[in-house]
Amino acid sequence: MTDMAIQRSKPWSAQVLGTLFKRTGARIGMLWIFLLVIVSTFSPFIANSHPIYMVVDGQASSPLLRHLDPIDWVWLAGFFMAVVVVFLKLAIWKRLLLWLSAIAVSALVAYSIASPPVLVIYEQYREMEAAGNIEFVLRAPIPYSAKDYLRDYGDTGIESPLASSQRLHVLGTEENGADVAARMIHASRIALGIGFIATGIALVIGTIIGGLMGYFSGIIDIIGMRLVEIFEAIPTLFLLLSFVAFFGRSIYMMMIIIGITSWSGYARYVRAEFLKLRQQDFVQSAIACGLPLRSILFRHMLPNGLAPLLVAASFGVASAILAEATLSFLGLGLIDDPSWGQMLNQAVQSSTFNWWLAVFPGGAIFMTVFAYNLLGESLRDAVDPHTRKGH
Amino acid sequence: MTVLLQIDQLVTELGEGDSWMRAVDGISITLEAGQTFCLVGESGSGKSVTALSVMGLLPYGRYRHPQGRVRLFDQQSNSEDLLLADDSTLRKVRGGRIGMIFQEPMTSLNPVLTVGEQLEEVLQLHQPALTAAERKKRVINALKEVQIPQAESRINEYPHRLSGGQRQRVMIAMALICEPDLLIADEPTTALDVTVQAEILKLMRELQLKHGMGMLFITHDFGVVAQIADTVGVMRKGKLVESGPAAEVLTHPQHEYTQSLIAALPERLQKPNRPIIQHDVLLEVRDLSVYFPVRRGLMRRVVDNFKAVDQVSLQVNSGEVVALVGESGCGKTTLGRALLRLQEVTAGSIFLQGQDITHLAAKPLRRLRRQMQVVFQDPGSSLNPRLPIFTSLLEPMRVHGVGHDDDERKQRAAALLDRVEMPTDSLWRYPHEFSGGQRQRLAIARALVLEPKFILCDEITSALDVSVQAGILRLLRRLVDEENLGMLFITHNMGVVEYLADRMAVMHSGKLVESGVTQSVLKTPQNDYTRDLLAAVPRLDDSLQLRWGR
Repeated sequence: MTDMAIQRSKPWSAQVLGTLFKRTGARIGMLWIFLLVIVSTFSPFIANSHPIYMVVDGQASSPLLRHLDPIDWVWLAGFFMAVVVVFLKLAIWKRLLLWLSAIAVSALVAYSIASPPVLVIYEQYREMEAAGNIEFVLRAPIPYSAKDYLRDYGDTGIESPLASSQRLHVLGTEENGADVAARMIHASRIALGIGFIATGIALVIGTIIGGLMGYFSGIIDIIGMRLVEIFEAIPTLFLLLSFVAFFGRSIYMMMIIIGITSWSGYARYVRAEFLKLRQQDFVQSAIACGLPLRSILFRHMLPNGLAPLLVAASFGVASAILAEATLSFLGLGLIDDPSWGQMLNQAVQSSTFNWWLAVFPGGAIFMTVFAYNLLGESLRDAVDPHTRKGH
Repeated sequence: MTVLLQIDQLVTELGEGDSWMRAVDGISITLEAGQTFCLVGESGSGKSVTALSVMGLLPYGRYRHPQGRVRLFDQQSNSEDLLLADDSTLRKVRGGRIGMIFQEPMTSLNPVLTVGEQLEEVLQLHQPALTAAERKKRVINALKEVQIPQAESRINEYPHRLSGGQRQRVMIAMALICEPDLLIADEPTTALDVTVQAEILKLMRELQLKHGMGMLFITHDFGVVAQIADTVGVMRKGKLVESGPAAEVLTHPQHEYTQSLIAALPERLQKPNRPIIQHDVLLEVRDLSVYFPVRRGLMRRVVDNFKAVDQVSLQVNSGEVVALVGESGCGKTTLGRALLRLQEVTAGSIFLQGQDITHLAAKPLRRLRRQMQVVFQDPGSSLNPRLPIFTSLLEPMRVHGVGHDDDERKQRAAALLDRVEMPTDSLWRYPHEFSGGQRQRLAIARALVLEPKFILCDEITSALDVSVQAGILRLLRRLVDEENLGMLFITHNMGVVEYLADRMAVMHSGKLVESGVTQSVLKTPQNDYTRDLLAAVPRLDDSLQLRWGR
């Protein structure tokens, strides 16, 4: 039996990835998303008022690590687990499950152990430095936190890029005096998180409901389609507005609402695919072999109907990001935490038009949505054999 | 005789950029007016590409002709090289001097235009001098010529109101409306039932006699060749391996490829000696009916039933192949699906080894499915494209607890692949890497992994070339004889029935009209429908006898 392992063919997923990586659009899109992942994972290390490492009176310490939030730890754990999981030799759904459970465990641990100081005084390091108490200090590349309003510099307010001679603000400051670059870097997490979590929720609900509708058809299909129509009739933005008005502002609530209102499109896709696949000979053969329903649905039907779903999902991520940006632009987003949409709002709030608050966050939103759309477009071409080259 | 079309050393290459594949490799054909030249060959031999090259219909920019000439002669022996002609000349030639009929009648008519409009458009383009009234008259005449009943009212109908045979008649009318000198027919009857095919072939012969046009007829069916051809060209991998008068080529083929093709015809296959064994009743069907309700109105009331299968009784013994024969839409596939409980049964009962399985609950049924397996028609979708063959073969074994562990199951799978004459390393490959015939072998292996007692084969060879079909038929017969399987073989091909089946049953519009031992049904059919069906089958030997007395 040893000679049996010689010729293994590439599975379909590997072939699709191969074609995907050959496309310039997909490369640009993935590069930007990868950059975003890196930036949002390491945002406390890139932009922070707390020094990474300092020696005060002979005592070495790392204020940055001490001030890391539980959420920072979860991001870091998630990132490194993802790196580990990618190199594991397991089925894709097992890897995904492993990764999600690792994140859940690290969240539990982080929220029970990590307890950063409640009171944060950003100015203290700059004052200590000015007083000459610090022997050695290693600062983050952008030495300002997202919520560091620079009160120690006196009356700081909105400043255009590189306006101040004492401080370096590459992208300027906003109306409270906080560094725009630092706020944009911290806001990338929201953009990334809302896209993935909202779309993830929508995908799970849509696949399950659409799959059941398509496989069983008949009365289940009729009920399911009515449910889809009801959810399609709900205007997401106005639902978000009213929820924010009633229950206050929460990023998680936004993710969930966007998720549970946008599954209907995925359900339609999966239903259509399953209706088509159900009549295919290999599915009929699987039924005739007496395979259990679980295997027929998830092993024989879902992977064959996944392609249009993935494409729709990558466009879905983009629209979720836009929904959050819209809400923040309307002033109904998060209160103190930075978000790209909220920064856009600030651009038009004061009497003058502050171009740097419009161009940089706007550009970031544009690039992110553009990247996901590019990826979706290339994915569609890669999974569709009619547009693939050489056919 | 005047030469109509002369193809000289035609080479057609398909592809783009630096990768070119030679589809037609230096073939030369001479076609005379009033004659029929049949191009025969298996799929991928380049016969359709030859026809498309003549018409200039290959995909733009994806083909080239490094050499060759295609000359079309008119009455005054002036010739025109079609390969060098520009677009406007070609447009005049197409439809005007060369008519073409395609294979698929269901898709070759535009569904949003009426039949009359589509026919009239051809006239408008090629004979702009005609007035509207004259055009209408020509259209009606053309439809009458192809024997469409009530042609005057039919011109206002849309294609979906016509049957497959009628649509193909309309296609012929469209190809002939400008009275072309040459008709190119690319497998015009392959998608049709045999009785319809017989009518269409008869019609084409009559029209040819009447108009004196030349015909380039492409087919893979030697039975059809024997009925219609004056001259035959046998193609293989883009080359014309043999050509000559039909009677010569069909009775005394010179090239060994032609010989092997004719020898692979199912009616010519050598029948193996069958062991005489005791047959036990394996599967029995009593008065089985499958109705599809027809619902109308707001409340979706059931107003009528479409009787797909109507009170059919059938019996399959172990070690025996029963052929279920009938034309498309006669309910043979529905009956097969109902036997396997893939389709809800309206009335009647199914017994598997004496056990009534008609209303068995899902769970015990799932265990019982091991006993009865199925192989479907379309090799393109019979295997899950996302799973390697390994998983497709092992999963059913795992579910039914065949074998102790995966190693043993792998051994079994490898042994089975050997049995269906496939290499062992197929296990790690994906379905798209195999040809149609190989995929059907793998589908048979998948059906066999559970060691079933009964196998349903639904037209499993109808999408395959004759030589591949011959291999699969031999394999099936061997499996049935050696493993004592019971097999219900659904088909429309009488040659296959004759080779494979011990007994046969004929279905017509949901009812079983005749059944009995294969030889006696084929030789002395009792039922009128069976007689018509058998008479319509184009058989090489009969046609040779009839046309040339050989």
